[in-house]
Amino acid sequence: MLTAEELEKSLEIPKKPSVVERQKLPVRYHVEDFDVDDRPRRFLQAFAAILKHTNYRLALDHYIRVSSKCSRCTAQCQIYEATEAPEDVPCYRSELLLSVYRRHFTISGILRGRILGDPGLTDEKIQEMADSYYNCTACRRCHFECPMGIDHALVTHLARYILSEIGIAPRALVVSTREQLIGKTGNTSAIPVPALLDSLEFLTDDMEEEKGVTIPFPIDQEGADYLFIAPVSDFMMEADTLMGIAAVFRATGDKWTVGTKYYDGINYGLFYSDHIMEEVLGKIRREADRLKTPKILIGECGHASRTAKYFYPTFCGAEAAQPVINILEYTHRAWKEGRIKLDPNVITEKVTYHDPCNLARPGWVVEQPRELTKAFCKNYVEMTPTRRDNICCGGGGGTVSIDEIRPYRTGIGGKVKAEQIRATGAKYCIAPCANCKKQLRELMEDQNVDCEIVGLHDLLYKAIIFDDAEKGSE
Amino acid sequence: MLEAWLEFGRGPLFRFSFALMVFGLLRILILTAISMWEAYDRNPDKILPWKDLTVRTFGWLIPLGTLWRRRPIYSLISVLFHIGMLLVPPFLAAHILLWRGATGFGWPALPQAAADWLTVLVIVTAICLLAGRLFHKAARSLSRRQDYMWPLLIMIPFLTGYVCANIETAPGTYQWMMLLHVWSANLIMMMLPFTKIAHCVLLPLSQYVTGLAWKFPLGAGQRVVETLGYGDRPTWVERPRLATDDVAAPTEEA
Repeated sequence: MLTAEELEKSLEIPKKPSVVERQKLPVRYHVEDFDVDDRPRRFLQAFAAILKHTNYRLALDHYIRVSSKCSRCTAQCQIYEATEAPEDVPCYRSELLLSVYRRHFTISGILRGRILGDPGLTDEKIQEMADSYYNCTACRRCHFECPMGIDHALVTHLARYILSEIGIAPRALVVSTREQLIGKTGNTSAIPVPALLDSLEFLTDDMEEEKGVTIPFPIDQEGADYLFIAPVSDFMMEADTLMGIAAVFRATGDKWTVGTKYYDGINYGLFYSDHIMEEVLGKIRREADRLKTPKILIGECGHASRTAKYFYPTFCGAEAAQPVINILEYTHRAWKEGRIKLDPNVITEKVTYHDPCNLARPGWVVEQPRELTKAFCKNYVEMTPTRRDNICCGGGGGTVSIDEIRPYRTGIGGKVKAEQIRATGAKYCIAPCANCKKQLRELMEDQNVDCEIVGLHDLLYKAIIFDDAEKGSE
Repeated sequence: MLEAWLEFGRGPLFRFSFALMVFGLLRILILTAISMWEAYDRNPDKILPWKDLTVRTFGWLIPLGTLWRRRPIYSLISVLFHIGMLLVPPFLAAHILLWRGATGFGWPALPQAAADWLTVLVIVTAICLLAGRLFHKAARSLSRRQDYMWPLLIMIPFLTGYVCANIETAPGTYQWMMLLHVWSANLIMMMLPFTKIAHCVLLPLSQYVTGLAWKFPLGAGQRVVETLGYGDRPTWVERPRLATDDVAAPTEEA
């Protein structure tokens, strides 16, 4: 548990009191102005509309019937571990929304409300939800510990969706999404095509100098095997990751391409709106159709991979949809097939691996990156806990993109993670996810942990060998 | 007089409570199954991680691997409590005898000594669970009335049953105990489908329900926007019905 002082620092609202007053919203993240009147009624309208058109009612009905309030989930929640506040018990968080459902959308709840004169949903409760559901990182560890099988992250997802329909969503996410969906650049980081091409060309030059071979980034190659979709911020922030990926393709010789009409894997829909998720995936589909690529390849990014892997079929043609794979799967397979050569003597420092929630929790990408890492990092250590049970970086659920809540993320959210990484004593921590990378770097800085956060392909780039490299360039 | 109440409890009231329990549980089971089918049918995408969901389902139904990872003592107590509670009522020789008397068919019973020990186990573990709830900060903050009530209520028939079967008491006391035993058991059966104990039939479906709920129906987002009357101007495109023209105020950052 954090000290009272640390807690106070993390929980401080970094906004003008006048803004909080005007928006009637004591939350740490910024929200664009929106009607504050009559919020309970509008919340219930949005809730009703969502229930009408989706499958959430199934889960909510089930959860209100079986929820046993056993508090086992507390043993798994890193937020609760840091604050030990009753409001941070996952089951309590879910109950905020479940109680609204029970009161307003079940016959017994409506009758009880009438008889007892319970006024139902209040504005204070909406304020509490707006705060609480953005404290959760939606990491889903508690789901695996719930004997009743309640998925608190699903409830968090739904609550945020409803809140967003009445205008309550972090400005950071909303502004990025607006640029992505109706802006000129069409991506969350607002990177225009010329800047993208410039930066890729620059990377190719760099790699030629370092590796002695030409490693291209194919652009708009119709009929390539893979349409490569990275979290767009990588094009500006994670050059090493991109170079590693390009190097892998140079070694395997498979055809891949970056599309200039759409090149952003980020999908904040997973964090606050199903509607947005569908719209963003539609953009990927249109690009894949335009370039006639049979497969979609997602870069080092957890939520982009999960939205594409698990929701692309839902929104883009079911069985007919192009298969989605993650770059770690691709590189792992290529290495297994002997198509990549790695020098095991380049990385000698101690290396550990952080499982991004969205990759590891479904049991999808767990062993592949480990086998790959061990192939060229001799000094590899595991974290505890690990694999599907690994602790979230503390910036999950989109919260990492909300800069103003950094004290919360690195104080409360990531405290347990920081100690976990510190305990490994590793020099490098591999975090194959753009969200995790940003969060963990800030975390290492704020919690004074001496560990460099890298992508898997960053390290792999250092170790990859090309037989046809020109001698003397090394 | 006492005898009449006892007979009523064992006869008509038992038949009523038992039927209410069975049909009540069937009702929620069928309702859930229908909702699950609707959710499955709603989307052309039928891809679900069936194997993973099934492994997790059995992981909790037979919690040999899952429970020990966290809070092992609490888990052990909870498992023992459930074992005793599931075994004793249907497999007690005296219960089977009553059932056979009424319907003409029966099934093998637990040895009396085993049933006695299991009964003690249920009582002890129920007290532990209640104490755990009272003294665990997080659990206490979550608990509702029914969460305290259930361990207490379940203890009554087990305690009175044990006394009736093993301890020699005055005939009057015995009758009171038996009356309490029968009526509390009836009450449990009647309340069971309408409280959290419904998990006794719903638990095998939990993981599948969650898996299905993560399937978002195609086009639902647009239909929600239309239902809400935002038309083609959902919240993320333009801010509808804006209160002021102020863009959010500049921040006071450290």
